[in-house]
Amino acid sequence: MESRQITVIQAAAILVSTIIGVGVLALPLFAVQAADSGAPLVTMLGVLLAVIGLVLVTLLSMRFPNHTFIQYSELIIGKSLARIGSVLIIIFFSILTSLTAREFGEVVVTSVLRSTPVEVTVIVMLLLAAISTRNNIITFAYIHTFYFPLLLVPVLLIAALSLKNAEVINLLPVWGTDPKKMLKGMLTIAALFQGTFVLTAVIPAMKKPSKAMKASLWGILIAGGLYVIIVAAAVSVFGSEEIKQLLWPTLELAKATSLPANILERLDAAFLAVWVTAVFTTLFSSYYLTIYFISHLFRLREHKQFSYFLLPFVFVTAMLPQNIVQMYEIIESVGRIGLYITIVYPTLLLFISILRKKRGNPIANQMVDPNR
Amino acid sequence: MRIKWWIPIVKAICCLCLVVPFLTGCWDRLEIEERAVVLGVSIDAVSSDDANEEEDEVSHISGSIPAPSKGMVRVAVQIALPGRIPLGPGEGGGGKGSAGETVWVIDVVGHSIDDAFMNLQQQVSSKLFFGHLRVIVVSEKLARRGLENVNDYFRRNPEVRRMAWLMVAKGNAIKFMTATPQLERVPALYLMSTLDEGIRMGKFPKDYIGIFWSNVSKKGQEGFLPYVEMKKEQNVGIIGLAYFNDAKMVGATKPLEIAGYLGVKGVNPAGYRVYIQLDGAQESVMTNATHRRSKIKVSIIDNVPQFTIDIAIELNLEAKLNENVKINDPRILQSIEKKQEGLSVLFYSNLIKKTQVKGADIFGFGEYVRAFKPQFWHAHVKTAEGWRSMYKESKFEVKVSLKIRRIGMKAQ
Repeated sequence: MESRQITVIQAAAILVSTIIGVGVLALPLFAVQAADSGAPLVTMLGVLLAVIGLVLVTLLSMRFPNHTFIQYSELIIGKSLARIGSVLIIIFFSILTSLTAREFGEVVVTSVLRSTPVEVTVIVMLLLAAISTRNNIITFAYIHTFYFPLLLVPVLLIAALSLKNAEVINLLPVWGTDPKKMLKGMLTIAALFQGTFVLTAVIPAMKKPSKAMKASLWGILIAGGLYVIIVAAAVSVFGSEEIKQLLWPTLELAKATSLPANILERLDAAFLAVWVTAVFTTLFSSYYLTIYFISHLFRLREHKQFSYFLLPFVFVTAMLPQNIVQMYEIIESVGRIGLYITIVYPTLLLFISILRKKRGNPIANQMVDPNR
Repeated sequence: MRIKWWIPIVKAICCLCLVVPFLTGCWDRLEIEERAVVLGVSIDAVSSDDANEEEDEVSHISGSIPAPSKGMVRVAVQIALPGRIPLGPGEGGGGKGSAGETVWVIDVVGHSIDDAFMNLQQQVSSKLFFGHLRVIVVSEKLARRGLENVNDYFRRNPEVRRMAWLMVAKGNAIKFMTATPQLERVPALYLMSTLDEGIRMGKFPKDYIGIFWSNVSKKGQEGFLPYVEMKKEQNVGIIGLAYFNDAKMVGATKPLEIAGYLGVKGVNPAGYRVYIQLDGAQESVMTNATHRRSKIKVSIIDNVPQFTIDIAIELNLEAKLNENVKINDPRILQSIEKKQEGLSVLFYSNLIKKTQVKGADIFGFGEYVRAFKPQFWHAHVKTAEGWRSMYKESKFEVKVSLKIRRIGMKAQ
């Protein structure tokens, strides 16, 4: 038994490092495909959508500060229905984990380690995440907090340095071209924020669950702000038409950016090193969330035994996409389906719980098993 | 406990197994002497008849995997010789310093860039490595045929940097690979520094391969590349801008017209000198631009974009041809300014007209329309082709204001 230990800063750090992941590399491409020069705007709208989703999830979790998502969903809509929902969530996050790992593997095999088989990079990354998930939620929070500054600083540095080559005219007109496509792009970008669902596992272990809203807003605004900055930097340097030609514009941006006085002529190697950490924390969160939910679904006290049990399934799912184009199609559609699971479903739960006047104990400072 | 005698052995084996991952190397390990570091590439268009005889069937074979019918190319590369390139200004490793000994130049033919590189790889024992590629020279003939394949290949290759230079050579491009300029030990680096220094002296715009690609992609802008020529003593001269329609070269400017481009775009620092004839050819002075500023405004009149270009340039007086002109009077300086303003307006307008004829908007005026008049753009232009024809009809008004600030160390 450990006490509730996670602070607001830690919770925010978990959110930020969960959100920033593989998605950063292709993000400007998604945004530009949706809105041309309006890419920063469409990113902002996507972030807004994600903020709304996260706020609703946070409100729901704060209603039941001592229960996990699985437990209170059963309280709200009954056992059988809630179990279907929980199974869907588990499947979704295990797929998300495997797609993250696969996207990581594809980037590495295309751009850096060209003769290393993609299977090896994927399994190494998954193994790393699997080993790390054998810790409890407190250690989980510490790992995220440790990596948090490491993610933020280099990305901001690259964005700032790339401004040397930026042209404002590329960002005009700010509202983009086609409002219809914008809606779709908004959903695609909001889907990059689905890792925030990890908050439902964090809140039951927070010192003061009543402050969870502060953490979630800070977390998503920092990550969302960073996303907008990256998109704006990429579009202003390359122009929207050129970005459509690039698979990973952010990586290309790092390639085109040099440190002053030619200390480093291209920053892509440095950027990739940081990006591996970002991918790891994202993978870690979704993997952790999956096994955490499985253990709760089966009413187990421990989630550790699932760490390695899940590994082969996730790995095989990761290897299913036949090629990189198909992989991105799958990622986009899985992401959009995921919005139903991570935003629409909790929203329904919230309204039903309000209608049925269900809520958990508001007592905050009691001893809780962090593994629950 | 005699049964468990094997336990320590198993434990030891387990420990050994744990050590194994730490002893492995990198999967993609490639020692520096095992890679052929390509510093420069030249690409020429060649006639298919000569080339077919020379070429081996490496990436195609007649019958089952036929070669494409597009014209063939001759690719030459400059490969750095490990150990021969002196590091730093001091004499390192006993290199004699002549350029021919630091690099190895080989050429092959192929149906496309990739095909040629494969033919080359078939001959070179080490793996070709493009991470340090700094200069790509294409011949004018190939540029006029179209650079789609060149752009595609180098954009797809993750090793190539966006800060490399792509340039168009007058005549054969391969000469630039075999040349041995004296200033730099590595010929490719000399080519590169010619252009990099050009940027710093205000003689050339920033036009790395990445920027060229961006410009080609943009709907309201066309790409342009440095147009170079082999001069005496195996030296390299920048003789203008080669301008493009999409990936096809359609024309080239004169060297001074680079200054025109820089003026219209307001690129700093400024660094071109021009003659100003005052009264008759005898009484000329020469001025040097030091600072440029430009403002481009667009308005739509009768469904045709009308651009107003405000150019302001600061000058220094550099030289005069004879002593008849005294320049110790502000009024004379003013008359020189007036004279040059008139000439400049004509000069800039002519340059714009020249690109208009070909529909090659290297200045990116179309981007201004797209950015500031989006409704007009969506109603009348929409695509890059749309802008190409619209550009030909666009109207331009050039306003130039010049200020001579300094006259050097001589009093009159």
